[in-house]
Amino acid sequence: MEYALTLEHVTKRFGAHCAVDDLSLAIPTGSIYGFLGPNGAGKTTTIRMVTNIIQPDQGEIRVLGEKSSELTKDRLGYLPEEKGLYKKMKCAEILAYFGMLKGMDARAAKAKSYELLERYGLGEWSDKRTEALSKGMGQKVQMLATLMHDPQLLILDEPFSGLDPVNVEILRDLILDQRRAGRTVIFSTHGMEQAEQLCDFIFLINGGKKVIDGPLSEVRRSAEQAVMLDYDGDSAALQGLPGVRRVNDSGKTAELFLAPGTDPQVLLRELIERVRVRRFDQREPSLHEVFVRAVGGRQAARDLSHG
Amino acid sequence: MAKNKTLLVAMREYSENLRTKTFWLGILSFPVILIIMAVVPTFLAKAKDVRRYAVIDPTGWLLPAIEERAQYGEVLSLLKFLQRKAEQGESSLSKLPKALREMANGLEKKTAKQLESDARLMTALGKSLANLQFMTKPVSASKKDEISAETTQFLAWVTSLSPDEARSLKAGVKRERYLRVPIDPGIEDQEAWARSKLDNGSDGLFAYFVLGPTPLENTDGFKYVSNNRTDKDLKTWIGKLASDEIGARRFAKENIDRDIARRIQEPIYFDEKQVDEQGLEMEVSSKDVFRQWAPLVFVYLLWISIFTIAQLLLTNTIEEKSNRIIEVLLSSISPLQLMTGKIVGIAATGLTTILCWAGFSLIGLKWAPKLMDLPMDVDLTILISDPNFALSFLVYFLLGFLFYASLMVGLGAACNSIKEAQNLMSPIMALLMLPLMAMIPVGQDPNGTLARVLSFIPPFTPFVMMNRAAGPPATWEYVVTTILLVISVGLAFMAAAKIFRVGILMTGKPPKMGEIFRWVFAKERQ
Repeated sequence: MEYALTLEHVTKRFGAHCAVDDLSLAIPTGSIYGFLGPNGAGKTTTIRMVTNIIQPDQGEIRVLGEKSSELTKDRLGYLPEEKGLYKKMKCAEILAYFGMLKGMDARAAKAKSYELLERYGLGEWSDKRTEALSKGMGQKVQMLATLMHDPQLLILDEPFSGLDPVNVEILRDLILDQRRAGRTVIFSTHGMEQAEQLCDFIFLINGGKKVIDGPLSEVRRSAEQAVMLDYDGDSAALQGLPGVRRVNDSGKTAELFLAPGTDPQVLLRELIERVRVRRFDQREPSLHEVFVRAVGGRQAARDLSHG
Repeated sequence: MAKNKTLLVAMREYSENLRTKTFWLGILSFPVILIIMAVVPTFLAKAKDVRRYAVIDPTGWLLPAIEERAQYGEVLSLLKFLQRKAEQGESSLSKLPKALREMANGLEKKTAKQLESDARLMTALGKSLANLQFMTKPVSASKKDEISAETTQFLAWVTSLSPDEARSLKAGVKRERYLRVPIDPGIEDQEAWARSKLDNGSDGLFAYFVLGPTPLENTDGFKYVSNNRTDKDLKTWIGKLASDEIGARRFAKENIDRDIARRIQEPIYFDEKQVDEQGLEMEVSSKDVFRQWAPLVFVYLLWISIFTIAQLLLTNTIEEKSNRIIEVLLSSISPLQLMTGKIVGIAATGLTTILCWAGFSLIGLKWAPKLMDLPMDVDLTILISDPNFALSFLVYFLLGFLFYASLMVGLGAACNSIKEAQNLMSPIMALLMLPLMAMIPVGQDPNGTLARVLSFIPPFTPFVMMNRAAGPPATWEYVVTTILLVISVGLAFMAAAKIFRVGILMTGKPPKMGEIFRWVFAKERQ
């Protein structure tokens, strides 16, 4: 498989604090890769190393087949987490400027800036100063600035934060467009919903260490299966059920965590014998649960990724 | 590869600066200040009241004699003034009253001595014409015949000259500021009267003099009474006139010949010369005096422009940092490219400001002498177009600029807000104050020890070397200070680059000075 980005044993320290610890990653070309993790986990540091804003202390980063350097900067597009624009510049002007910084020539950059603004519904704002834009429009302009030079690798840090539902929709289509064009998109997010909808792969980092890394479907499958149960009866009857690892009992409802390989059918039959079942709801755990569990307890997380 | 990225940053920075108010205020402040400096003193002089004074004279003869000498002084200043006008030609004469215009004819050919004797003669004539009873010098009949219609007319005009007219003339006569109030001889206690009039309403007295009863014998009883302790002009003026008169009379009393007396009293004047490049003596012209002080203007300009530009540079850097544009920029270019671009952009901005100012000055200097009645031999344009002067100014300006711009950009990178920046800026500001404070001593002694020592301290070099332009400094001094400055600019730039690299992505609490120094001396890791 071809990789748009690889990290090999990358480590970055700030003083005594180890922000990224021996991280290895391989991101296939043409995929959408979600970077998840709590605040301070090392997402932004990883992204800054990939964009060559800071250099790793150890390890090697290869971007689009080349060792990361000033030259690879022109081939990737980066949208930072906190978004800002030069207030006094006009929208088209600022897009052209960012395009030119990525190596476009002036004429092409100017034409492209008007074209992009027109295509994404900001045509009438082209010659207005960015200080006149609403927050959402400003973010859109920034997103377009990332796309000016048709980068082969797009890195978006928290692209969805602060967007209204309509703009979330637009951004999602935009990301999918990029994949359709054969480009690779990496984005970090706290929004599990977007990650579930968009990502081919999930990477979860916590405390500078990789916790989960793999295709979304696999990540979910590998997680602990659970059943939501509404029941009437003696709660002691829920103890010692075959194939149930753990019970989270609330009296009338309970959450049953299944050991790997347990057949829910067998469990249901067993339960009907013991209590009156009002609801038996078996489902794959959401990414949200995967995330909370992975980050909440280190031990559980390690079990999960090795299990 | 399209355009050079550093140049792109520089161009954006430049066009951004052109859109700021600070930039235009900086450019426009200069002519505005010039105009204010030219116009306000005139307005102030107009606004100032005429100061009224009285003289109590127990002798009966001293006051009229002082008056006569004062009249002589006024006539002489007017004649000198008319001579200057006559030299400037018809156009400047045409605005004058008829009496003066006719008097000015032929004055341009007279020497200073001739003017003085004319003035003396006219004062005496004026007295006889006005039928004044106090005459110290008889006027011969033959001289009387020479009184021309012009002179009569001129003297009549001088006698009736009001303070307001005097002021609008700008001839520098005393009457525009001081007016003597005559004391009614019927008043018994003249001093009590004067005391009651002192500072009393709009026609009150500003000051009064009491002359001694026996001035030829001793100086007892001379008194100057005023509540204003700052304006000493009146006291000095009347005092000089009185001592001259009393001196002359004392000589006469002792039967010492007037000419001998004058010779004994004649003070020595040193004739000022300077030596040119060929080792020959030459006259000190007003141009050279100007040359000594004009650099101060340039030091000021450099200082103001560095100060203004520092603000712009800090604001821009902190804007990029606080709204995180910096990350987008750094994902496209290296920190060094970004920093270099910013410094080049700001230097271009500064250069634009300076060129605009130079343009204003050239225009101003061409027209100002005509508008403000300055003597025309101070041709200021010669100084600005002097290639040595212009070149050294440009070189020192650019280097000084780059030095301080590097410091500022490093500082801006370390801070998150203007407020933090201002705290860290105070040491740099203190550094900048020193050449400003040394400006006068260095200007007075351009090749002195202070001037030389300061020239070799790179942060001060641009200011002090400009300040010394009148010296002028030796060629080796130009070369060595420039080399030192270039090296310092290089070092400042490298230090700034290191601070920039680390500081630009830092958020949270601002770093301490010590921490910044550690960044500078930390080993490069790559």
